[in-house]
Amino acid sequence: MNRRDRQRVGIFLGMVAPGLVIYLFIVAYPIFYSVALSFSDFNPNAGGAWNLIGFTHYQTMIQDPYFWHSLKNNMIVVGVSVFGQIPLGLLLAYILYRKMVKGVNFFQSMVFLPQFLSTIVIGLLWRRMFSADGPVATLMQWFTGDPRAQFDLMLQADTVMYPIGFALIWMYTGFYMVIFLANMQKIDGEMLEAAMIDGANEVQVFFRLMVPLLAGTILVSTILAIAGSLKGFDLIFAITTQGLQRNNAMVLPIYMYQTAFQDFTNPMRFAYGSAISNAIVVVSFVLIGISNWVGKKLDPEEV
Amino acid sequence: MRTKRFATLLVVLLAVAGMVFAGGGGQSTAAPAESKIVVNTMAYGDNSNAEGQSWVRIVESFERQNPNIDIQYELLYDEAYHQKVSARLAAGDVPHLAYMGADARWGAPWSESAQQVDHRPFLDGNYYDLGLIPPMGSNGEIWEIPLGTSNITTVLYMNGALVESLGFDTPETYADLVAMVPAARAAGLTVVSIDGADGWAWGSCLMSTFIARLSGDANWVSKAVAGQYKFTDQVFVDSLNLITRMVNDGVMDESAVLVDYGTNVANFSNGKALFMVQGQWAAGGIDPTVAENTLMLAWPQLPGEKPATAGTVAAAIQVGYGLTKAGAADPAVRDAALKFVQFYYSHEETAQRLIDGAIVAPILKNFQVPAELPTINKRKVTLAQTAGVTDVIDAFLGGAPNDALNAGMQQIAAGRATGTEVAAEVERLLGR
Repeated sequence: MNRRDRQRVGIFLGMVAPGLVIYLFIVAYPIFYSVALSFSDFNPNAGGAWNLIGFTHYQTMIQDPYFWHSLKNNMIVVGVSVFGQIPLGLLLAYILYRKMVKGVNFFQSMVFLPQFLSTIVIGLLWRRMFSADGPVATLMQWFTGDPRAQFDLMLQADTVMYPIGFALIWMYTGFYMVIFLANMQKIDGEMLEAAMIDGANEVQVFFRLMVPLLAGTILVSTILAIAGSLKGFDLIFAITTQGLQRNNAMVLPIYMYQTAFQDFTNPMRFAYGSAISNAIVVVSFVLIGISNWVGKKLDPEEV
Repeated sequence: MRTKRFATLLVVLLAVAGMVFAGGGGQSTAAPAESKIVVNTMAYGDNSNAEGQSWVRIVESFERQNPNIDIQYELLYDEAYHQKVSARLAAGDVPHLAYMGADARWGAPWSESAQQVDHRPFLDGNYYDLGLIPPMGSNGEIWEIPLGTSNITTVLYMNGALVESLGFDTPETYADLVAMVPAARAAGLTVVSIDGADGWAWGSCLMSTFIARLSGDANWVSKAVAGQYKFTDQVFVDSLNLITRMVNDGVMDESAVLVDYGTNVANFSNGKALFMVQGQWAAGGIDPTVAENTLMLAWPQLPGEKPATAGTVAAAIQVGYGLTKAGAADPAVRDAALKFVQFYYSHEETAQRLIDGAIVAPILKNFQVPAELPTINKRKVTLAQTAGVTDVIDAFLGGAPNDALNAGMQQIAAGRATGTEVAAEVERLLGR
């Protein structure tokens, strides 16, 4: 290495160092700390010594029914996102792109509107919708003629995710619609016209042209949806009340939060919470890996 | 070449400067003047509620009168406050002064981090009525200065005018409540309203009194947590089963599990319920016209109740501001913090809290009760002075077992669990 190369390396390091230092302290350090903590009995609040206890927390976790309940709910959220929001967003984008309705700008704005609202506001709005004698219950009372009818799906563990899934679709579909719409604008319109001239109908154009052309965008959206679904905390936290509803709708981030920050009966709660958060990361990697694999199998060139 | 090097150097300097200045300075991070004593504080409230607004006003007023003291604070409310307390203590970022309690919910993080300080040596006996501040530690320690005397959590609010309009009087027994059901239903009213969507309301505001009444032991809960009793004991199961009975009798609606705190108070204020279950703090939220006719009662005689605890209410030690070990370590900071606390607990501010219904009664010596005290708050003081006091569940039972109990009671009310099942789950989570 001559003097000039050494100078270049110095400049390179000078440029990279500030970002690297920030990354190491803000991103890498908490990750390593969380992983290390999950293998220990350390409680940062109480202090004391670190004792490594191996996979104890992970063993506790896989025997914990609340963990599996939370994971199941997380998978439902992933399912709603991937198989609900994305297809619906794609369909709505296609309808708007093909101008199948009047007032395209109006519909585009309306579907995208929830993205401008705070998640907490949306959560509280839907909580009010589902409350006793709230708008949904009032509609039920009107339809059934029973003045005591109530919307009680939030009270049952096996039905709570229906209303929450509906709220999730309402909130996030507009986001994916805009992504798809933006990518559709880049597609050569003459290609679609040619297909129509050759006799293809709208359904065929959608499935045989549009979907394959947007395969890469669909995959990226799927990865975004999976990552967002697994770390999703705010909407479900706000839409449910403390107690039965939140327990029913428990997802891993909320379970991790309640364990680490609220369960003072567990002296190793931070370590156990770290184990749960690491599990979220592992599940994310697995699902994103599956998405990539499926994407490549379906259309290796586009993806 | 030189220009290139200069440009590179400039970019690096700008990047470093950006890193340094990007942090900025917030409300509680502004650099104090050297001569000032800084009291780092965690305060409770937010800018949209009376607690937060009065906090800001009092701090500004104190700092004007004491220019050598800088009260730097972080103002948070509800869940955000509890979360931040845990996070700050875990990170070793301990404030000098904080809003805290001494029980399983408000005191647990401070106790766990060994940051509680016994305030007895620092309390001015000429200013505070030390006889009204209960011992909080096993050796009589006082971990914080409560804003008021005991905090009653199991009040039965009665809309006197509404009950009278249906031809009834103040209930003396549970059977009296049941007798009101047909007339109330015919009028489209709820007999007893509770914010059952909030899990904590079932434990703090209902079960705390049920278990004391049925067991005849005012301290049943603390003894159970200590291992003297079990939550699977028949008396606790019977107490839980009272919820089922109330729903079956129509005293409480099944839909109660869908009603949140705000709706509960609003329903009572709007004359949709004859009675409301809540803590004493809800008195301030009731519509003033309705409040004039609202009685604050202990629960009437319950089925299976023991005479030893008849007419009792559950009450916890009021929360307040307290020094931490970090704050007590430096005498200058400690004295400044205690001076501020005394200012915060002034007779004028305490009188306002009393009028607002935020506290039951003050802990100050020679306190003059304001003449303009609303009727409902006078009734609150009467209740506090006349009713015996029992344990509040979540003052002793915390974490996962308490969450399971709260959610379990909601399930019982919704007809989806039995008292036996819920009691067994609580005992299982206690892991003994």
